[in-house]
Amino acid sequence: MSVNNLLENWAQFRHFHPVDDKPHDPYKWAMSIDLDACTGCNACSVACYAENNLPVVGKEKYQHGHVMHWIRIERYWDESLGVAGGGDFPEQGAQFLPMMCQQCEAAPCETVCPAAATNHTADGLNSQIYNRCVGSRYCSANCPFKVRYFNWYDYPTTDNVWPAEMNQQLNPDVTVRSKGVMEKCTFCVQRLHAAKGTAKNEGRLVHDGDVQTACQQACPTSAITFGNLVDPESKVHKQWQSQQVELDKDAQVKDQKEGGSGLRGYRIFEELRPYPSVMYLERVRESAV
Amino acid sequence: MKDIREDIAWAQINQDVLKSMESPRKLYWVILFFAFAAFCVGVGCEVYQYQTGMGVANKNNPHAWGLYISTFIFWIGMSHSGTLLSAILHLMHADWRKPIFRFAEALTTFSLMTAGLFVMVHLGRLWQFYYSVPYPDERGLWPNFQSPLLWDAMAIFTYLSSSILFLYIGMIPDLAICRDHLHEGWRKKLYTLLSLGWEGTDRQWRNFRVTYLTIACFLIPLAVSVHSIVAADFAMSQQPGWHVTSFPAYFVAGALYSGCSAIITLFIILRYVFKFEEYMTLPILKKTVRLTFAIAMIWTYLNAVEFASVWYSHDQASKDVLIQKVVGPFAPFWWGMIFCGSVVPLMLAFKRFQTNVPVLFVVSLLLNLGMWLERWMIVAPTFSHGYYPWTWDHDQWPGFVQWGMVFASFGWFTMLFMGFCKVFPSVSMYEVKEMVYHRKLHLKNSETAEQGAH
Amino acid sequence: MSQRHLLALFNNFEDAEAAIYELRAADIKGFNFDDLTLKSPIEHHEVESVLGQRSANVQWFSLGGSLLGGLLGFFLISGSQANFYAQMKGGKPIVPFPPNFVLTFEMCVLGGVFITILGFLICAGLPAKRSPLYNAKVSEDQIGVLVKADESAMAKIKGVFLNHQALEIQEEVSK
Repeated sequence: MSVNNLLENWAQFRHFHPVDDKPHDPYKWAMSIDLDACTGCNACSVACYAENNLPVVGKEKYQHGHVMHWIRIERYWDESLGVAGGGDFPEQGAQFLPMMCQQCEAAPCETVCPAAATNHTADGLNSQIYNRCVGSRYCSANCPFKVRYFNWYDYPTTDNVWPAEMNQQLNPDVTVRSKGVMEKCTFCVQRLHAAKGTAKNEGRLVHDGDVQTACQQACPTSAITFGNLVDPESKVHKQWQSQQVELDKDAQVKDQKEGGSGLRGYRIFEELRPYPSVMYLERVRESAV
Repeated sequence: MKDIREDIAWAQINQDVLKSMESPRKLYWVILFFAFAAFCVGVGCEVYQYQTGMGVANKNNPHAWGLYISTFIFWIGMSHSGTLLSAILHLMHADWRKPIFRFAEALTTFSLMTAGLFVMVHLGRLWQFYYSVPYPDERGLWPNFQSPLLWDAMAIFTYLSSSILFLYIGMIPDLAICRDHLHEGWRKKLYTLLSLGWEGTDRQWRNFRVTYLTIACFLIPLAVSVHSIVAADFAMSQQPGWHVTSFPAYFVAGALYSGCSAIITLFIILRYVFKFEEYMTLPILKKTVRLTFAIAMIWTYLNAVEFASVWYSHDQASKDVLIQKVVGPFAPFWWGMIFCGSVVPLMLAFKRFQTNVPVLFVVSLLLNLGMWLERWMIVAPTFSHGYYPWTWDHDQWPGFVQWGMVFASFGWFTMLFMGFCKVFPSVSMYEVKEMVYHRKLHLKNSETAEQGAH
Repeated sequence: MSQRHLLALFNNFEDAEAAIYELRAADIKGFNFDDLTLKSPIEHHEVESVLGQRSANVQWFSLGGSLLGGLLGFFLISGSQANFYAQMKGGKPIVPFPPNFVLTFEMCVLGGVFITILGFLICAGLPAKRSPLYNAKVSEDQIGVLVKADESAMAKIKGVFLNHQALEIQEEVSK
């Protein structure tokens, strides 16, 4: 049976994604984040905690590095501006970068999981199956972005994670995770699922704007754009296109031009070939304007 | 100096070895007691960690791996010495291995069992470990065969079962001796069962020889593959400091190295505890020491190759990890590794230390400390200085639960190993007889030749 | 005619060897040379030339076992990858060769070792019932020669053994 299956579908089993594969159809969820608009206010992170039932681990566990922020705001200082005497306005040296799972097309975490608990889905997400996870943490070890978070304790039963009335605000669409499983940003897969269901009932595809991720929804400066990359009408598609960032390239054509393209779009660790689904738009420097 | 006296009577060999199984020195019980106590510490730690969560081991994101994986590699590595002595030296007809290969094989088996425990201890959901085992189920779910961890599981299973079988098959003639010469009791029943009715007939010996040789041939590439696969856990990943082409060779050399130094340690302990002075002789120790020295130098060379290839590459991230090891927070441990692994073995080059038992005992322990540090220095620094800047200011030191478990693993190993040496003959009687016989034959032949010359 | 067993113990290989040579050359009626068994405390393959061609076939089991294990490994793994919802991981092909070859090698060794042990048990006839005449001295330091022959040949065989300094001769009690 299995040998027959092997022989019949051989070609289907022997191609590399995304480089010699057809693009996802009809959905490929992707994001773009405008760092020029990001003020580092952390609203996205808070929204994510509320939407995805992230445990609030408390001061002590935070100090031990057990924090569970699926989306984290990283703060970098520009050495030439951000130190005292470095520039007229040292506070301008601060730069923020929201970091979450990049939903790679060829994710390094997927190949190494011994239990096949993390996989690539048909709509271009990097899925994590909590029930299947055995907690070897190899995925986290091999993630170049280090955006996977492990449940070091059994948070649902730990005191003060969701004290008394606070557990009333848990999102019923999202499970809580027990100790010993890995978790990470899902691009709010529960919302995607609901939107796809609604659209299907109405006999259409999901339109741009039908679905928002929690972080996108909460962002006061609309720095985060999310949508279906294969939909030519979507904002995210237009942004990627105008920035000339292509999903299945490990080096963009525009960057090979002499003197640069002047475009702001880039993906982190493109050269490691994980083919991330999140594009960042570089901050515009005052000196460059 | 002779490896072994050729005028030991065969009956004497039986007697001496069987005596070790009945009346060892008092120290034996002391060792067993402390080993058991240490093991209990580990059981306590594991119960606590199992109940509370992996957080008590003081790991975090991104420091997802810690001492468990390092110590896992350490024990896997140690297991390679048994194969070196029993298979590689067997094929090379080095007959000085004969009095010491049995305990080396036991070392292989039990250190693999210890390593296997660390895989379990490391898992976040130990109770679901069978998800990573390929078993057919009605939902058609399979583990991920692409994962080096799964190769590990497969390689360890193959290696463990093969080395248990190899140890057992090689022991059948000795079990028959035990059956024939021990007093009535549960042990006699056990040996009768295990010796399978061996009588030393020509048919049995003939097939025994071919089997032993064949399995030795299987075990050598298997042992190499096992540690290459452990190296693949790191080399197949994308992380700086791990993604190194020379890792498989480096790991195999390190494995033989730590295995050989463990053999020296255990050689000295067994020799004293079981009064094996006649069999585990100083000339044999000297040969083992020389072998260890050679392997130590190979390891040092491969270490240097790794540093050089990182240093001259254009891979800035890998280079940063290397710099981090040399001058960062891990520097004391890294330099400790260099000292114990590359400088201390230079002592073995001096003839006067090669048979000095107290010096060798200390040196062999230091070598193993160095090898343990090496494994830690492979695993940990990459987590605190990976590709992503967010990891750079996160230092996380192993908590006491991790240290307790590492400590306990030595107790667990010693317990199993010492238990084995008391219940089963730790010196191969029939092989020592062969060795004595061949020496005698050789002596006789050379005497006849000499007479002929006159 | 009924057959009986006879076990002679020798102090060293030379004596035993000489006795076996003589028995082989003597061509005693009622005694087949293949019914002679040498028992020794060590494995000494030079002695086996005395016994003539007696073969060991374990290596064929090894070959068969490793081929079987390897093939089983490869097809089991590739087949299950293809069946497992054809789940894509890390952009690699669903049936990737390098990992499968690693596992095929492991299965090859596993099959080889297991079947070799099986072959050893079959070829060496283990586990076996103890033969009617057995002396614990054989597992210590003496060489045993066990023969099975007709009653009529017993006296002659015994004579040969005694000629070569047999230390002890045990006879099966006749039924």
